[in-house]
Amino acid sequence: MAQIEKVKFVWRIVDLVLAGIFIYAGAIKAFDPIRFASDIDNYKILQWTIATGLAFYLPWLEILCGVALIVRRLYLGGLSILTALISIFIIATIAAKVRGLDITCGCFGHASQNWSFPAHLAVDLAILAALLALYFKAASGNRLENAV
Amino acid sequence: MRQALILAALALLPGIGQAIYFRDKVSWQSPIPASEMVTVAQARTWDGNAIWVDARPDAEFERDHVPDAVPLNEDRWNELLPQFLVTWSPEKRVVVYCSSQSCNASREVARRLRGEAQLKDVFVLQGGWEEWLKSRK
Repeated sequence: MAQIEKVKFVWRIVDLVLAGIFIYAGAIKAFDPIRFASDIDNYKILQWTIATGLAFYLPWLEILCGVALIVRRLYLGGLSILTALISIFIIATIAAKVRGLDITCGCFGHASQNWSFPAHLAVDLAILAALLALYFKAASGNRLENAV
Repeated sequence: MRQALILAALALLPGIGQAIYFRDKVSWQSPIPASEMVTVAQARTWDGNAIWVDARPDAEFERDHVPDAVPLNEDRWNELLPQFLVTWSPEKRVVVYCSSQSCNASREVARRLRGEAQLKDVFVLQGGWEEWLKSRK
């Protein structure tokens, strides 16, 4: 029983760490949406108008999904969105690298500005792995509950 | 899926609110308003009345740059800004350039000069260094 509690505790910590990361990343971008629009534009995938719209929208989406992980309301929805966002971001980053673009994602403000490409990718992949683990754990938990 | 849609819809509210708040501070048509851009031909007419700022990385600046240009990139912003300010005077216009039309550095440096250094008359060179090279031929 104590073992189960310990495992639950560890998963909760993962929840909170991920939530903290996305709330922090979202807040930094929400404070300076113009800079974030410029960062999105840097990828040369979207038109400026769309980049601007996303710069106002995505930070709040990240923050709300982070909050959903903390309060465990709309939990699976939050996990799905964050998994989709980080996956798109990883693909866009790799595509930008392949195209030789000099990009600054600005994901974590100035803290991440000098990260190398492999460091960025390693952090993003670790976040993606943690999100997927949480998603499958939660989804399988829901299935068990429904079965009972 | 329903949960994700609810979250996506909820995030629209603060997003739209913030877009309304920033409506006068951001251009939805172009990253740089036309009034803050300058062509090579225009900038050349300013002659001695302009300071050229090279926002490219140090290595590129050292390879070649616009005559009398001052290096000011984001990598060494704190170090280079005081050096730039020594050459600056209020009556001079500032022309910031980076490598090409698609680069972002000149836009960022111009934005920081306007915001952090409170400078007016800061312009981004259309087409950047590539355009300058073409005009030199």
